[in-house]
Amino acid sequence: MTMSDLAIDIRGVTKRYAEHVAVRDLSLQVPSGAVYGLLGPNGAGKTTTIRMILDIIAPDQGTITLFGQRHTEKGVLDRVGYLPEERGLYKKMKVRDVLKFLAQLKGVPAKTADVRINAWLERMSLKTAEKDWGNAKVDELSRGMQQKVQFVGTLLHDPDLVILDEPFSGLDPINAQALKDTVVELKTRGKTVIFSTHIMDNAEKLCDAVCIIANGQKVLDGSMSDVKAAHAGHNVAVAFDGAPSTAVEAILHDTSLVTSVDEQNRFLELELAPGASSGQLLQRLVTAGASLQRFERVQPSLHQIFLEKVGATGIEAGMSGHG
Amino acid sequence: MDKLKAIIRREYLERVRTKWFIIATLLGPVMFLALTVLPMLFVARTKATVASSNITIIDATGVALGQRVVTEMKDTTDVHPQVSVIAPSDVAAAESLATRAIMSQQRLGYLILDSSTLAGKTARYTGRNTSTVPDMRRISTAVESAVLNMRLEKEGISAARVDSLTKVDIRLEKTQLSSKGREKSGIATSVVGLMMSFLLYIVLLLYGQTVLRSVIEEKSTRVAEVVISSVRPEILMEGKIIGIGCVAVTQLAVWIGSSAWIAANVIPMVLRRNAAASTSAELASAARSSEMLSTLPSFSVGFMVAVLLYFVLGYVFYACLYAAVGSTVNSESEAQQAATPVAMLLVASAIFIQPVALAPQTTLSTVMSMLPFSAPIMMPMRMSITSVPAWEVTTSLIGMALACVAAIWVSARIYRVGLLMYGKRPSLRELFKWLKYS
Repeated sequence: MTMSDLAIDIRGVTKRYAEHVAVRDLSLQVPSGAVYGLLGPNGAGKTTTIRMILDIIAPDQGTITLFGQRHTEKGVLDRVGYLPEERGLYKKMKVRDVLKFLAQLKGVPAKTADVRINAWLERMSLKTAEKDWGNAKVDELSRGMQQKVQFVGTLLHDPDLVILDEPFSGLDPINAQALKDTVVELKTRGKTVIFSTHIMDNAEKLCDAVCIIANGQKVLDGSMSDVKAAHAGHNVAVAFDGAPSTAVEAILHDTSLVTSVDEQNRFLELELAPGASSGQLLQRLVTAGASLQRFERVQPSLHQIFLEKVGATGIEAGMSGHG
Repeated sequence: MDKLKAIIRREYLERVRTKWFIIATLLGPVMFLALTVLPMLFVARTKATVASSNITIIDATGVALGQRVVTEMKDTTDVHPQVSVIAPSDVAAAESLATRAIMSQQRLGYLILDSSTLAGKTARYTGRNTSTVPDMRRISTAVESAVLNMRLEKEGISAARVDSLTKVDIRLEKTQLSSKGREKSGIATSVVGLMMSFLLYIVLLLYGQTVLRSVIEEKSTRVAEVVISSVRPEILMEGKIIGIGCVAVTQLAVWIGSSAWIAANVIPMVLRRNAAASTSAELASAARSSEMLSTLPSFSVGFMVAVLLYFVLGYVFYACLYAAVGSTVNSESEAQQAATPVAMLLVASAIFIQPVALAPQTTLSTVMSMLPFSAPIMMPMRMSITSVPAWEVTTSLIGMALACVAAIWVSARIYRVGLLMYGKRPSLRELFKWLKYS
């Protein structure tokens, strides 16, 4: 992989604050054209990492390269679109004026911006035959509409790299779907999309590759299939006809065989102990006379991998907060 | 550069279009009219109080001084005071009668002339118009003339002769001479100087706080993060300060331009009308003094440039401080408290405007016009009132420029960090730490 194939190349980046280290010796590579998930609990350093990529804050150590150029070089950041976690627009401004302003900040000439704004407003159904919301003030718009406007502002300059910080938080289902569709569309056009999230479902569905960080450090990264493969083979889904007998229960609680039992509604998800195989478990269960309805080796969900790597406390913190 | 322009454009247009700006801009000339033309119309009206009403003169002198006072007053107004001649012992009774007349609105007031008046000491006036300065002046002048005439006649000088001898109305023409020989009309320059420094104070305070609010708006709506992902925070701050500064210049231009137009066109018109309406000597002199207020003194180009420099530097200084304060707070209510130290600098300067205007050559005045925080308010005023040595002006300008550089440096650092910090307001110690962040 050559340098220019990477949309983002972060090497050995550290950011210290007076009281704590926000990001510690972080390195990650995001290939061009990928949809990349930056996952981690609250306070893991996701937002700090994103802000460093955008040169909003400077790292104490390490280098950040975007499209093969230092991110501080002139014009590089004009190729990046950013949707911050905390969204906001100038409330008293007209929608069209806000969008034009945001586009100009990314170096889009006024005339080009006008054309694109109209196209986007139509696409987001903010401009219809009856009503052109582009001429309304931002605070006259509903929350959902404001989210759309913000999203348009992120993409108006047709960025090659789009960074979305917790993009799904606060989105209504319709806008969330529109966001997913747009991410897919950006990918088909060869753009790179990074998003940070703690909602593993979304990440699992959308991402080509992920990086999990906790306490400012990388826990794991790689393509989705690699990550899953590395954690595959340890989980088994089991369902019985009727309640399991005491003998079967004893097997399920044999720690040399099973380390954890996760009771789902219609089945149990078992995590095999290190060294134990699914064949062994099946044999023991059959011998004990269990009436099996289902016995299946399953790939762990991203959620489970995350749990395993970061710990339950981590994800709970991540769920309740936003970071 | 295009990005900076976009920020300046936004700040300027979004502000100039607001109702608040349009109202405040139009209010300026209205206020100026109220302060200049209304008093002149008032001068014309005060004449009417005495003309339409009347006073009683209680004459207890026994030498018909009352009649003489009436004669004196006739010269200047068309008043016909009623004279009641009484014995000195009846003063109390006459007074209570006259008081009743005032209470029942039949009379405006009464004047008591007695032996003390003859001795040239006191005369007593009671009435509803005691706070009307022209009325009181007219009465006291009439009494003085009457007493003087009486004494002169005693010495054997004829009434006509007395008249011609005592009619003196000197108009003092004042011209200020500076070491450079430049002449200024005294009252006009100091009034304009005073007005200018108040205007500078108001504009610095008003637009400093506009910068403050603008920063808080971007911070609290979280728009700041989007903007600084596209431009450096320094550029955002710079664009904001320049944009709002242009708004201030626009407003000042309208204010000064319209005031100059009023002074050149409306005021002379009012004065001509006043002059035509009356030939009274007092009115004429009142008109003359308002005329002096209204004729704008001519200032040199160098002075104008200096004022402009003081305004620009003062604005940059205070705008930077306000921007820094704005970035450290989360809401407008918090801001008022946090901005108090900055506002205090301005208010402290404003408090000294009058002392400095009255004594522009004292050490206090010199120091106040040299300190960077008060110089933009004090120095232009001192320069218009008195002649300030060139080295003082140069030193204070250099001092201000240095203060601005320091303010920009400090504010940019605080602003950059503060803009992304939410929650508890930073302590002074934390602010010092921010200065060290790269």
